[in-house]
Amino acid sequence: MSTTIIEVGEAPVELTLRQKWSHYFVIIYAILAIIIGVNLRDSAVFATVPYSNPQVGITAFYPHRWMIDSSGDYVFRVRDMAQTGFKTAMQVNIIPVNSDMTTRNILETLILNRSQTDSTFRVLSQEPIQLADNTEATRMTSTFVASNEDPFLESIPTVVERMDVIAVQGGQAIIISFLSDALTFEQNYPKFEQFLNDVDF
Amino acid sequence: MMLTSKARLFATSWLMLVVLLITSGVPAAAQTSLDVERIQRATVLVMQTRIIGSSPIITCVGSGTIVSRDGLILTNAHHSLSGANCSGDTLIISLNIRPGEPPVARYQAEVVQANPGLDLALLRITRQVDGRLIDRASLALPFVEIGDSAGVGLDDTITVVGYPGIGNDPIVFERGTISGFAAEPSGGDRSWIKTSASITGTMSGGGAYNQNGLLIGIPTTAPLTPNPATGNCISVQDSNADGLINTNDVCIPTGGFINLLRPSAFVRPLLQAAQLDISISFPLERVISTTATIPTARPHFRYLGFSPSVNPAGMPTTIIRSLPTGSNSLYLFFDYENMTPETVYELRVNTNGIPNPNFSVSPVRWSGGSRGLWYVGSSGQPFPNGNYEFTLFIDGIAGDSARLVIGGGPDEGAAFSDIVFGLLDSAGNVTGTGFVLPTGNTASARFLYRNMTPGGSWAAIWYYEGQEVQRTDDGTVWAESDGASGTKTISIQSVNGLLPGSYRLELYIEGRLAAVSDFTLAGGQDGSFARIFNNTHFTTASTVQEALSAAPISSFSAGTSPIFAMFNWQLIGPGTLWRIEWSVDNQLFFSQTQPWSGAPTGSNFLMQIASPAGLPDGTYRLDLFVGQIQFDTAQFRVGIGQLPIDRFASAEGIALRGQVLNSVSRDGIQGVSVMLISEDYSVADFTRDWNQAQLIATATTDRNGRFEVNVPLQRGALYSIVLLAEGFLPITADGVEITDENHPDNSPIDITLELTPE
Repeated sequence: MSTTIIEVGEAPVELTLRQKWSHYFVIIYAILAIIIGVNLRDSAVFATVPYSNPQVGITAFYPHRWMIDSSGDYVFRVRDMAQTGFKTAMQVNIIPVNSDMTTRNILETLILNRSQTDSTFRVLSQEPIQLADNTEATRMTSTFVASNEDPFLESIPTVVERMDVIAVQGGQAIIISFLSDALTFEQNYPKFEQFLNDVDF
Repeated sequence: MMLTSKARLFATSWLMLVVLLITSGVPAAAQTSLDVERIQRATVLVMQTRIIGSSPIITCVGSGTIVSRDGLILTNAHHSLSGANCSGDTLIISLNIRPGEPPVARYQAEVVQANPGLDLALLRITRQVDGRLIDRASLALPFVEIGDSAGVGLDDTITVVGYPGIGNDPIVFERGTISGFAAEPSGGDRSWIKTSASITGTMSGGGAYNQNGLLIGIPTTAPLTPNPATGNCISVQDSNADGLINTNDVCIPTGGFINLLRPSAFVRPLLQAAQLDISISFPLERVISTTATIPTARPHFRYLGFSPSVNPAGMPTTIIRSLPTGSNSLYLFFDYENMTPETVYELRVNTNGIPNPNFSVSPVRWSGGSRGLWYVGSSGQPFPNGNYEFTLFIDGIAGDSARLVIGGGPDEGAAFSDIVFGLLDSAGNVTGTGFVLPTGNTASARFLYRNMTPGGSWAAIWYYEGQEVQRTDDGTVWAESDGASGTKTISIQSVNGLLPGSYRLELYIEGRLAAVSDFTLAGGQDGSFARIFNNTHFTTASTVQEALSAAPISSFSAGTSPIFAMFNWQLIGPGTLWRIEWSVDNQLFFSQTQPWSGAPTGSNFLMQIASPAGLPDGTYRLDLFVGQIQFDTAQFRVGIGQLPIDRFASAEGIALRGQVLNSVSRDGIQGVSVMLISEDYSVADFTRDWNQAQLIATATTDRNGRFEVNVPLQRGALYSIVLLAEGFLPITADGVEITDENHPDNSPIDITLELTPE
């Protein structure tokens, strides 16, 4: 004796046009939401604040919610205070140069000064680059070790990677620097790239 | 404000918590006005080192105290400056990181101001211990404030703080009382504060604090030449690399026990100059015709005598043979020769054959010139009856002694006293009395006498630069017409004119020295007074030659440097002691006494006052002295003519510190930014502008989540706080206030905060 089992299923129902469009809209809304979300995130992450210093002749856009400081021996410096550990920073320095000075001379001076003040300073690379406005510049990458200045705390020193972009223009050298924890340098670098593209001097 | 609504909700809830935590802050130290923790942290070990072979060898050790947040350290000169006994070239600064533990080397420092005679030095932290340069502005070290040493009195309780060993021991706090004051010409009746506290040699350079926690003195002793055989030094390193640590290795001087504190009043000029970063150079070219000679002969003392009091010129009022019962002041006078600022001298006093530390002076650096009359004594301190023996030591070797009996009634014998000098007017009166007279043919002295017997012998001997030049005739007797008591005037004369220089008058009764006093002849005559310096003026120039011909200027623009000062002088004898004082806004920051080594008369004595960052705004004054008399003064303004206000100059306030935890894992969070916003701004202001100028302090948490705000908080001020870390909701709080109600003492506030992961 044999038994035959016959499955009786519900007959497929053709979706109505309205149902089809509903599904399509849900998918489209989801994609749109993702796109808008990504854009919103990007605009938040890459939001900038204008900076202008007519005395020095610099305009720039630095990341929103980074703390600005112009009390040091630089034109200005911005730091990401939310960063745990070493605070990622970008800063602009200007040094006067004479007509005989080359970018190479400026680099040597920088290396000499930093070597004398910081025994952990090391140069990683130097290369010529062209800025967004076709200005010829030189890029130097270096490292040093930073530590909390408070001697009473137990802070572990951080290896910092530093990139300096040096351009000579109008009797002065402008040095635009980016400093970041070496472990997060690549991750933070796009912000510096944007900063570099927007800076005008 | 750029916080999200969720963050804002959190912030609001945290605000109450933060305020609550702050208002209930747990005091970290006992409730006392002596801020033990701050003093501990500000007390450092100073090690002088030099490289021998490839190893750093410790050559000298002492204690020190941080006196400014940007790293100025007050200590002794003898273990800071390189010299015969301390031959190092690098100063290593060790901090007390944890209470009860030995100090840890953290920094290198350089000497920025020093006075070897006063044995004081100010060091500035310039590098990390590994040699990396330090930005002074980035330092925010705990420091103590200088108190008023003139305000302390006998039997006041003090606390002396320092390191008792050469680096293996933690800080010690020694309590004691002020047992007296020692007098010297360098600082008058309060040249030294004596204490009963038990202070070991390496605590020299540390701090002595009053009950309000202010530094009122620096425990000071100068170690003698290191000699392992005497046990006054310790060898701890194999400096000669022979595989053994023995007497052939570098021996670190440790000194003996200390009973003296150098009063903090001596520190202020050095501190002012160091804080202003001002240097003064003189003399510049073309002025000096001779150079000062450094004594090479063996230093010695002679002609010890006693006086119950000292006049304003530092001269004994009389010479005594005994002192009556109940006396409370006594000065030992003596001549000195060939002394240098590195000479160590000591006074040991025995009473009835028993050492008496109350009136002794432990070994200290010499703070006088190379030759002259000196005294050491004490006032305001009762002397018990007894037979006293005073013995002076130079570099540990006993020199002359003198004995004095204290007890019984006053000496009713014949006496001379209170010598003053001046010029005789036409009526025979002595005018222009003082101890600095103009050069001329005559100089006169007036003195008091009492209990003189007519017919008794007396003598007056005049000296010029140590050589006898005039004396009363042998056999001179006291005239009956002068009476037993009164005033007498005598003179020294020279038809060719008296030479400018240093003079002395000694008066004898029956062959016994009864009174002695030095005086100086200098300058031209201006009425009854001397005119020594004139035409003091200032200018600025890029070179010395330009300065000599530049027009005088009395008001300079802000940041000017260098500024040159010039003056003319007349008739100053070689070796005449003169003093330069510089003040800014009436605060003395430079005072130096030196022997004149130039031509007797000249013009444009040139000195330079400079600062690397330009002279700070202020009103600067130059005063020129001979003896205690100011002979010329002039001033100039820089910028607005007033010193800028340093809002961080005060150590007063309450320290804020704490720990930031992850609210979920309860672990400390590393790298959190703790930002303290100035009372002029709110969190909303700050998070709109994100401008560092609105902050008064920032701190970053360490690997345990601990942080310390390095600016002391003030009572009554309203602060705002922002805590920020990527991946966590921020904490903000406005209106944080410390009041007497919520925090009655000055102990640090220690708070725990929790950040919630986003």
